[in-house]
Amino acid sequence: MLLALRKYALTAILLIAILPSFGWTQSQLLAVPALTGHVIDQTGTLSGTDTQALEVQLATLEKVHGSQVVVLMVPTTAPEDIVAYANRVGNQWKIGRRDVGDGVLVLVAKSDRKMRIEVAKSLEGAIPDIAAARIIDGAMKPRFQQGDFAGGLSAAVTQIGARIAGEALPGPASAPAAAIRGDSHGLFDWTDFAIFLFFGVMVAGPLARSILGAALGGLALGGGVGVLAFVFTSSLLLSVGAGVIALLYTWFFGGSSGLISLGHGGGGLGGWSSGSSGGSSSSDGGGFSSGGGGDFGGGGASGDW
Amino acid sequence: MMIQRLLALLTLLAATLTLSGCGYNDFQRLDEQSKAAWSEVLNQYQRRADLVPNIVATVKGEANFEQETLTKVVEARAKATAIQVTPETLNNPEAFSKFQQAQGELSSALSRLMVVSERYPTLQANQGFRDLRVTLEGTENRITVARNRYIQTVQEYNVLARSFPTNLTAMAFSYAPKPSFTVANEAQIAVPPTVDFSASKAKP
Repeated sequence: MLLALRKYALTAILLIAILPSFGWTQSQLLAVPALTGHVIDQTGTLSGTDTQALEVQLATLEKVHGSQVVVLMVPTTAPEDIVAYANRVGNQWKIGRRDVGDGVLVLVAKSDRKMRIEVAKSLEGAIPDIAAARIIDGAMKPRFQQGDFAGGLSAAVTQIGARIAGEALPGPASAPAAAIRGDSHGLFDWTDFAIFLFFGVMVAGPLARSILGAALGGLALGGGVGVLAFVFTSSLLLSVGAGVIALLYTWFFGGSSGLISLGHGGGGLGGWSSGSSGGSSSSDGGGFSSGGGGDFGGGGASGDW
Repeated sequence: MMIQRLLALLTLLAATLTLSGCGYNDFQRLDEQSKAAWSEVLNQYQRRADLVPNIVATVKGEANFEQETLTKVVEARAKATAIQVTPETLNNPEAFSKFQQAQGELSSALSRLMVVSERYPTLQANQGFRDLRVTLEGTENRITVARNRYIQTVQEYNVLARSFPTNLTAMAFSYAPKPSFTVANEAQIAVPPTVDFSASKAKP
């Protein structure tokens, strides 16, 4: 009895320890596919040319208006219903520009005979639920009933594009700027780390110089900062950049106290700019990537055929 | 002089690190986040409550519509909107469950109304009613998402409030764990049985 109880408690503790790190809803649910392009067809329904045409249509839409519209076809969304799955996919991909958050997900569950247009919050004005329902009923449903999936999707994308065009969104010029900032550092607190390095180098620079001498001190500090940056950010480029800046700072400015204020300003700035360029190089992988700004709050409409 | 400056800098550094280490800032962030998530939940419930009179008015236009169903919706809405929700509701489990129950009643009354409306072809053909149906469906989805986010934020907050060493901070500033939607409802949210208006239709 007692043993069973203890076993139960141990399991509970283990579960609690595991839960935050893995996310407990993800265990048996359908996995969210990797975002590889504007069109992801897991059912093999669309022919190569159809996929290409849709891809071009969606890429043009993104180029002209900046909004990211992605078409996803899956066999089924079981065990979830299409609404929950679409919302999960949308919020995991976060399609839409980072500073605008304008993304639309067109999801087709072929074997369930269901489709959904999931609209990010910032486009709920351009595509309200009723408009999304009309697009589904008018453009997709009749064509899907005849088995014309490519035609239905293309017509739907055209109508979505027309609705987005009618909305006063910021121009697409901001898209590259949004990509540079990078989005993979959600867990890490940049400010704390920047403050730490900033003061750390300022304090330890002269110290290392006085103890080890100019050349060796700079090397030691640069190496130390590099290792520290690597441990914290696990980005090689970033840590090398930070290390080199610390090294240069200690070599050139660390000795003369008159230049300290000027020196640490330059060091700090350099550290930041190298940080952002490191982020950009890691996030700019392929030709298409999510802007990372889309927030999906359940807007849109579903239908079936 | 030099030593003093060094000491001051080190103190500043230490203060920054301890502050972020004890989770004080995390508490502030998550507290605000959960408040915002709760406001979003209320916002979406309000949106649904605002929608009900329109639906009732449209359905009333239908001759000999089941009066009992309609009355139930109106009553449930009156009951749900009569509950005063303040930020203190969050710290009062009794008021919280009362609120939850009232909203749950409105949910079931509305879904019953939608099921019944399937029997009236003229109503189904009415474009205005169809638009309202889509809007209601979207609102129910938004409620689900908002509740889900509230639950997640509160979970994060509660984990922080209970786990070591941040629980010491919680004790020092008396941050109590927040209530969340109950287990029964949480199970419902995981597999949302959203009103499926097209279920009765024969599949081709």
